[in-house]
Amino acid sequence: MAVSPLPGTMPSAGANGSLKPRPLTMLTSNPAGSNSLVANTQSSNINTDISEQLNEEERRRYVKGKKLGEGTYAIVYHGHHRDNPSKLVAIKKIKVNAEFRDGLSFDAIREVKYLQELSHPNIIALHSVFSSKNQNLNLVLEYLPLGDLEGVIRDTKSVHYGLADIKAWMNMLARAVWFCHESFVLHRDIKPNNLLIAADGEVKLADFGLSRSFSDPYLNMTYNVITRWYRPPELFFKARHYSGVVDVWSMGCVFAELILRTPYLPGGSDMDQVTLICKALGTPTEQIWPGVEMLDGYKAYAAISSEAVNPPPPKQQLQGLFGTIGGQGIDLLLSMLALDPNKRATSKQVLQHEWWLTNPRPSKKEALPKKGGGLEKVGEDLKRRGGEIGDGDGRGEQVARKLNFG
Amino acid sequence: MSRLSLKNGAPKEISDEDQCPVCKSSRYLNRNMRFLVNPECYHKMCESCVDRLFSSGPRVCPVAGCNRTLRRQRFRPQTFEDIQIEREVDVRKRVAKVFNRREDEFDSLLDYNNYLNEVEDLTFNLIHKIDVDATEKKLKAYEEANKAAIRENEVLASQETQSLQAQEAAEKEHARLRREAALREAEEERRERAEGRLDVINQLARGEGNADEIARQGRRTLLKKSTARRVGTGDEMDTSDSAGTGLQFKGLRRRARPEPEKPFEPFGEVTVEHEYFVLKGHYAWDFLDTARTSQTYRAGGYDISEYCSRALTDAFAGLAVFVGEEQTAT
Ligand SMILES: Nc1ncnc2c1ncn2[C@@H]1O[C@H](COP(=O)(O)OP(=O)(O)O)[C@@H](O)[C@H]1O
Ligand SMILES: [Zn+2]
Ligand SMILES: [Zn+2]
Repeated sequence: MAVSPLPGTMPSAGANGSLKPRPLTMLTSNPAGSNSLVANTQSSNINTDISEQLNEEERRRYVKGKKLGEGTYAIVYHGHHRDNPSKLVAIKKIKVNAEFRDGLSFDAIREVKYLQELSHPNIIALHSVFSSKNQNLNLVLEYLPLGDLEGVIRDTKSVHYGLADIKAWMNMLARAVWFCHESFVLHRDIKPNNLLIAADGEVKLADFGLSRSFSDPYLNMTYNVITRWYRPPELFFKARHYSGVVDVWSMGCVFAELILRTPYLPGGSDMDQVTLICKALGTPTEQIWPGVEMLDGYKAYAAISSEAVNPPPPKQQLQGLFGTIGGQGIDLLLSMLALDPNKRATSKQVLQHEWWLTNPRPSKKEALPKKGGGLEKVGEDLKRRGGEIGDGDGRGEQVARKLNFG
Repeated sequence: MSRLSLKNGAPKEISDEDQCPVCKSSRYLNRNMRFLVNPECYHKMCESCVDRLFSSGPRVCPVAGCNRTLRRQRFRPQTFEDIQIEREVDVRKRVAKVFNRREDEFDSLLDYNNYLNEVEDLTFNLIHKIDVDATEKKLKAYEEANKAAIRENEVLASQETQSLQAQEAAEKEHARLRREAALREAEEERRERAEGRLDVINQLARGEGNADEIARQGRRTLLKKSTARRVGTGDEMDTSDSAGTGLQFKGLRRRARPEPEKPFEPFGEVTVEHEYFVLKGHYAWDFLDTARTSQTYRAGGYDISEYCSRALTDAFAGLAVFVGEEQTAT
């Protein structure tokens, strides 16, 4: 995969109004003018000196502060503009990945590539990119100090929220996903801990490490994406060609989790996950999902090869679980969790659903409940969750981040 | 005089409070007797009189000298012992419905208080039958001129109670508690206000012997005020009358309140334009046919149109970029 010049600073777009997705081919040109050539994975050394110099300039614009947290492939630092310490940023330093000679992981490159495409109030803003001395890639991101949605959902002791709040959070998520899809980007890792919260309460979709553009019809796509609990059935069945509605399934799982305040389908293994899906939403059969038996992975699952075929769940059962969101809310939730991807709502259809217009109106972002305890506690929390990742009792093992381009 | 003898502790005789002024039957004989009044004239009479007199349609009040026509369905139990107060409460209700400005509509508390004073004067006039015609005219004119604002405040007030109920039902613990607190606060405020109003009435009610004196005093100050007004602002009165409002309040904000919220827009008022093309349902392109017809593509949810729109955006944008580059090169 050739990834050539990565633009440096991003022109910031207005929050509202008409946003045009910049087409992907624009990446190979340089929208920001001369201020470019930050990291070059191809070894054309022609402009090395100039790019070094520009990179140095870019790097000097920010001051790196204390460590905020650590993820699977990155360490996140607090930071601010050198010339204006009140302008806060988060600096995400991508860990060196030995597999890539040039010191850059594919994931990191993907994140840059897609993030800079997407300028939307509910998508984390990428301010700049630079590499540090030992060839580490640094992403300068919008600083989002209030943790993530997982923290809010889990903190049942001190965070209390209601229907209007769920509606507001879900709407922000739906807007972000819709905008990604309109811009031909699949996110492929939607889950509560990738939904970060800005100081004003705005939820922002982050962590584009697994995102990719809608596929050409003859390129296989990897099915090994999306954290298990949020992964749709077609990916367990090893679909090689799928669409934006994989993200909609994840959204549905987040929706259910916001209501239940515990993960909706927390499978311990892929086998277990498919069993949970069948129990909760019915067994996928040729009848309700034409063609499903043709998918490579379909027959591998015990829940499916066993005699007992679970019918779709009865209305009362869902009413009992999700009754608080009302009939229209349940209708929307089920349309996101349709087993057959062809029957699942698209992100646009999600936003067109009438539930958004029913009472109560979504909370204003400023009025949304926040995780208590102030900045320090949030910081600690970030550390804790960062550390947990990878050990068993966290949010399930993370999916492999190495991508297979088939 | 009977009142005086009562106060003096004389043996309890049949007072007019216990006797129907129309049929003269008394509570003494009929323990269950209930008195009704009609807000048209507030002449009280017993329930059976009302039944007897008004069941065959409206007719004139049986009290001598009162020529009002009364309808049966408007009779209601007397809430307050004192008919004066019964009437006063009604007048206040009627005035408050029209003068329903809210504190946040005024620049300052002083302006709001001045407004309340002005309204109180008006109310007082109506209660005590001073300048009734002129006052009624003012009320009417104000109502006409402020129709929209009155309606808006009515809606606001009912929305406040409604949304409180709706949210209460829908939201969980914290949110609910928060709102309950707000509800309590609002309730208390309302009660305090109601109590304040009752206070005045109670004072009047308690000070039976002085009622006339209080009323006379009130009337005197009011007369003073209204003459002062007439002297001081004669011209204004004329002009404002011709303007149709009759009453103007200082410091009333010109609809400075935030305008009513726009309906919620799920897309966040963001639109995405693919400016180069309109996606067609079907592209005759052999290359895509396998993808379109393959069962496994379909079963996985692959959407050919997603690819088409992306490919088209790329293609058109690519052209645009090249043109740009050529221009800067020359
Ligand atoms: N823009 C940001 N502002 C503040 N904190 C952030 C930001 N981005 C990430 N973090 C925090 O830093 C930690 C590591 O981030 P990341 O590498 O994205 O983690 P993960 O692998 O869990 O997605 C996380 O706990 C995250 O909450
Ligand atoms: Zn009688
Ligand atoms: Zn009468």
